[in-house]
Amino acid sequence: MSNESQGGITMNKKYDAIIIGAGVIGSPIAYELAQMGYKTLTVDKLSDAGMGSTAASCAIVRAHYSTEDGVAMAYEGFKYWLDWENYLGNVKDEKGLAKFMNTGSILLKSQGHDWRKVKKNYDVVGVAYEEWSVEKIKAMVPVYDLHEFWPVRRPEDPEFFDESTRMLEGAIFCPEGGYVSDPELSAHNIMRAAEIRGSEFIFNVEVVAVRDNGERVTGVTLKDGTEYDASVVVNVAGPHSYKINQMAKGVWEGCNIKTKALRHEVMYCPSPEGYDYLNDGYHTSDGDVGIYYRPEVGNMFLIGSEDPECDPQEWVDPDEFYAGKGGPGRDNQLSDAQWKAQCYRCARRVSAMTIPNQPRGVADLYDCSDDWIPIYDKSDLPGFYMAIGSSGNQYKNAPVAGALMAEMIDKCEKGLDHDKDPLQFKLRHIGRTIDAGFFSRKREINYNSSFSVNG
Amino acid sequence: MKIFVCVKHVPDSAATIRIIEPKEIGENITFLLNPYDENAVEAAVQLRSEIDDTEVIAVTVGKPAAADTLRSALAMGADRGIHVITEYWPDSIVTARALNAAITQDGDPGLILTGKAAIDSEGFQTQFRVAAMLDIPVATNVGAITLHDDGVEVTCGQEAGGELIIQMSLPCVIGAAKTLNTPRYPTLPDIIKARKKEIKEMKFESLGIGPQDSHMEIIGLRPAVEERRKQFIDGSAQEAVVELIRRLDEEAKIKLVS
Repeated sequence: MSNESQGGITMNKKYDAIIIGAGVIGSPIAYELAQMGYKTLTVDKLSDAGMGSTAASCAIVRAHYSTEDGVAMAYEGFKYWLDWENYLGNVKDEKGLAKFMNTGSILLKSQGHDWRKVKKNYDVVGVAYEEWSVEKIKAMVPVYDLHEFWPVRRPEDPEFFDESTRMLEGAIFCPEGGYVSDPELSAHNIMRAAEIRGSEFIFNVEVVAVRDNGERVTGVTLKDGTEYDASVVVNVAGPHSYKINQMAKGVWEGCNIKTKALRHEVMYCPSPEGYDYLNDGYHTSDGDVGIYYRPEVGNMFLIGSEDPECDPQEWVDPDEFYAGKGGPGRDNQLSDAQWKAQCYRCARRVSAMTIPNQPRGVADLYDCSDDWIPIYDKSDLPGFYMAIGSSGNQYKNAPVAGALMAEMIDKCEKGLDHDKDPLQFKLRHIGRTIDAGFFSRKREINYNSSFSVNG
Repeated sequence: MKIFVCVKHVPDSAATIRIIEPKEIGENITFLLNPYDENAVEAAVQLRSEIDDTEVIAVTVGKPAAADTLRSALAMGADRGIHVITEYWPDSIVTARALNAAITQDGDPGLILTGKAAIDSEGFQTQFRVAAMLDIPVATNVGAITLHDDGVEVTCGQEAGGELIIQMSLPCVIGAAKTLNTPRYPTLPDIIKARKKEIKEMKFESLGIGPQDSHMEIIGLRPAVEERRKQFIDGSAQEAVVELIRRLDEEAKIKLVS
């Protein structure tokens, strides 16, 4: 118990800020706040940093988003991953440091992506990129079959197997993209960096109440009855975000954009024999067949879904999912139909790929917002903030989100009315200023969004 | 020569099996080609490449969904399939009778391959019953097959790491072990090709077999509780690695290959 007894009166331990969730977005918020002098406590239901949905992230680092600010934020994120040790203040982590695998990122020009808008956004933001012809792609990735297979179908549809005579147009290649080798470790790295600056983390604890005094948030209560006090509480609870919002008075009701948990699967398929995808391959976004893929240890293709319209969506209760699926983020079970859908789609592009009979991969949850754009915002309860609804597309932005949230919290606590006069957040590395009101909970649904993992 | 491969549609070993009272399992999970049967299919396909005019026929007994498993075998290289369709759980006696009837009706088996066991029921009976019904020899846990003019030589794994080398006449039944080969997995073009291969469907009744022929009945199912026991290893990283290798080797019997 952390409650301390003074003269017979039990005093709750006090912090400047409590962060709920030690994932890859919660940890950098703690880290940035600590650097600003905040005494923070991060609480997490699991046993270490990054063990929730962060662990199941594909940890793709790419810049193609459907909005200018989306591209800018992602491109800013590149700079953190490319300079990871410095970002962490050269902290030592006994588990080692996560590694940014700078493979470069291919966005195939297809009807599945509004790549012209992406290219325009790249030009405005100043993202380095190359245009690749079909011949150039073939030279760089000989295993790709560059026929066009659009529209995206499921293998249950007989037309899925039709041969194509149409060809794709080419690709936009972003040399600074890639993926992070170990997403869980990256969150752990940030936790260690935050701890050096005085942040505290406690694990295996569950928040059951967010307390307030009628005017503002005052702290959280854990399942075992322990109470921690703070005048700032930040919800970074991933797939549990809506449950935490519902615990805080008026917060859930005050959000025009809501979050909920979506079941998602990623698959592993061996690279074709003779092709060293792990060392020679690129992260590829392939809207033509509704998937993305990147190299994985064991010379595997790691295949994720871009949520094409023909795929069913399974919205679940996160507590039921994690309780019933044999353990969070690891040994959950893939569905046979989705295994076939994602692997067969990938095999349209990589026809020499072999597909094992036994599904292999990871099933976990996205914390999804109504328009698949995150909510980085204050709330209707003063002192209560949220960094939620990352919808499977914010991993790469995590360090930027940490900086944005810390600045927002600090400014709001010092009197900024972020709802009326939204924070104008300057991106440290690329110098561009973005309107943080873009991520407001009060926004109307943003129809510029892709409404998918692409954000 | 006709090589028949008996395959079974089984739950994925990674699936969380839920028991539906009193004696059925929830089927909203992944089912797939029994892993040992993958080795049998692979062996059949390899043997076909060695022998002229050889056809590989995958045979299964199971519910309509078992057709997916036949398609997997076809995608791995089998030429055609036979599906004996049943809506109820057949015991190994009935399964063997159905396989025997299907194979006999198709005619002239040169060799019958199957996995050494099915990972669901692990009855270890069907292959022996099929051989007995056909009055032909059988060997199981086979890690090597060499065809000769006058028969086949197989190497069977024995307990305590020994091997038994057996000479059999053809036709015979061979139960494949994991060590027999590394199954080739299909590419999408293989899967597309398999969609067009013939699967002959037969009803149990048409083979003169019915539920009354079963001599075994499942009267209950209980979940197997797998206990994961954490072990902690103290000491430096170097000492811990040495100790981990020792425990894997001596306690878990896992041999590490450098």
